[in-house]
Amino acid sequence: MATDPHANDIAIIGWSISPMVRNIGYTEARMLLDVVTGAVDDAGITRDDVDFTCAGSCDYVAGQAFSFVQNIDAVGAWPPKRDSHVEMDGAWAMYEAWMRLQIGDIDVAVAMGSGRSSTSDPELLYSMEMDPYYLAPLGTDAISFAALQARALLDAGKITERQMAEIAVRTRRDGKASPYSQVTGDFDVDTLLQADYVRNPLRKHDLPPITDGACAVVIATAAKARELCENPIWITGFAHYTEAHYVGMRDLRTSNASTLAAKAAGIEDGPIEVAELQTAFTHEEPLLVEALGLGADTAINPSGGPLVANPVMATGLVRIAEAASQIRDHGKHRTLGHSTSGPCLQQNLVCILEGSQ
Amino acid sequence: MSAFFTALTEQRLIGIRSGDRVIVPPREWDPDTGDELALDFVDVGPAGTVETWCWVDKPTSQHPLDHAFAWALVKLDGADTSILHAVDAGSADAMSTGMRVAPRWKTERRGHITDLDAFVPGETAETNDGAKLDEPVTMMDYNATITYTTPVPTNLLRYEQATGEGRLLGLKCPGCGRLYTQGKGFCPIDSVELTIEHEVDLPETGVITNYTIITPTPYPGQTETEPFARVHVLLDGAEIVLGYQGMVDTPNENVHVGVRVAAVWASPAERDENDPMSNFVGWIPTGEPDDTTPGLVNRLN
Repeated sequence: MATDPHANDIAIIGWSISPMVRNIGYTEARMLLDVVTGAVDDAGITRDDVDFTCAGSCDYVAGQAFSFVQNIDAVGAWPPKRDSHVEMDGAWAMYEAWMRLQIGDIDVAVAMGSGRSSTSDPELLYSMEMDPYYLAPLGTDAISFAALQARALLDAGKITERQMAEIAVRTRRDGKASPYSQVTGDFDVDTLLQADYVRNPLRKHDLPPITDGACAVVIATAAKARELCENPIWITGFAHYTEAHYVGMRDLRTSNASTLAAKAAGIEDGPIEVAELQTAFTHEEPLLVEALGLGADTAINPSGGPLVANPVMATGLVRIAEAASQIRDHGKHRTLGHSTSGPCLQQNLVCILEGSQ
Repeated sequence: MSAFFTALTEQRLIGIRSGDRVIVPPREWDPDTGDELALDFVDVGPAGTVETWCWVDKPTSQHPLDHAFAWALVKLDGADTSILHAVDAGSADAMSTGMRVAPRWKTERRGHITDLDAFVPGETAETNDGAKLDEPVTMMDYNATITYTTPVPTNLLRYEQATGEGRLLGLKCPGCGRLYTQGKGFCPIDSVELTIEHEVDLPETGVITNYTIITPTPYPGQTETEPFARVHVLLDGAEIVLGYQGMVDTPNENVHVGVRVAAVWASPAERDENDPMSNFVGWIPTGEPDDTTPGLVNRLN
């Protein structure tokens, strides 16, 4: 009998994504309650079967210190559970859970990501998370950072404003088929290009919507995954890299951290059929496609991606769930989920998934 | 960083040597190796070249200028990295990658990134007289204001309404039977949603299971000036402990585990009609003998 190539791998066995809306109208803990229930149901287990939980959320977004403590209510942590939290997108929470399962003493973990961006003004919020000496006191906001990077790409001839609008049109059209979309529809490139700039060179269609949302993913060790699931989705590569926070120290025309993460995750071991990238701004798509080394045969963000729904702190975990869905629900074999954090793609995470067949 | 901010007060821009490079603004560590950098500073600028820029039509309340401006990454003459700051250029048409800019200094400088008011197009710095600081800059303020708007869950509204009506409202989990209060939205043990049909009126008497005496320190919102008690109350015949409750008309030395207490509601004069929660004042000893149940102090819920 052939050796199991995935004997040492961790697998995704279930997930759940919340509705994606401008303002959900209830608490973050409540959003998580629903997706954790959805994810364990999807995996065919109960909360009692979960050995470890790890959440990604942000106190600045929530507007409350230690907000993640209340979110534990969603886990059903009685009797007490092993739990951890990262002040990062849920994709990094999943990275920690993936590491934790590899110790081998426990079998099942749930990773979560959640955020209610409706609670405050993201334009003011984001700048408060920046370096407090050189950046935060200037109020440098996320859209401005993105616009500086977009200009660098335009100047370098790596993209045009028309191509950026085409990406918006494509993702909003693709998003129509997804139940987890917020801004979708059929748009005309020329019409979009007539709009005023929000931050020249970015127009509104280049920006993500402001979204409340959450996601939970259940992962398990190989033996447990085979016991619980007919076709586990194997995590064959998982890596993240970061580079300097201060954007003036980086070449904004590329993303070295993405390249390194993709290589470390084994992107060169085979073709990627679908990549779900955390491209919250249109110009980030060609930049990341190049940095990750993806070819023209890789479909990008068939879900619509962050340009149609951007639940900050869950957006990256949603990418991994959507990449898993491509394997389980759409017959693909090898897909990629990407997440990013920090100004101008400072930190990047790559998760490569493979189907059982 | 102290050297950089001190230099700003002197209308100078400096970088730090890191190997063959000059990094502006200075970092504490070599970005490639993580080694601590020697304090080897170099004057840079004052003029520089725009590497990339974007135009801000409507500044936010946190931005340094109150009218339309550009953000730019400026590579100052003599520097190998770029500094991010505002360019006060008038209009986006005046901006281009590769253009030359120079600093405009504020008159009052305090060792802050905004001592550099903005860059302006051209080669010449706009200096301003103004007092030089006597001491090097060692501290820096960063103040920001943001407003959060949080939805109030239905159960919490109903809890507040009940309190206004003089009732202690609880919610009973249909699964495990545990009781919750303060408008809990769901049972965190069973992960079951709690709704109006799970509401129960809670008893208004109980026993202190734990307490602490707090010596107030002044902070925004603190109205207490003398040491005060906060107690845990296990309600009679109900499996619920109300945490961090206030006492009414009770000297601190009379507060201990086992004291029987009853809820105190506000008199009409004490009530704030706009705040239903003002109707509940706290707890007062009933005068009954102490509850001597062993292990009472361990009751946390």
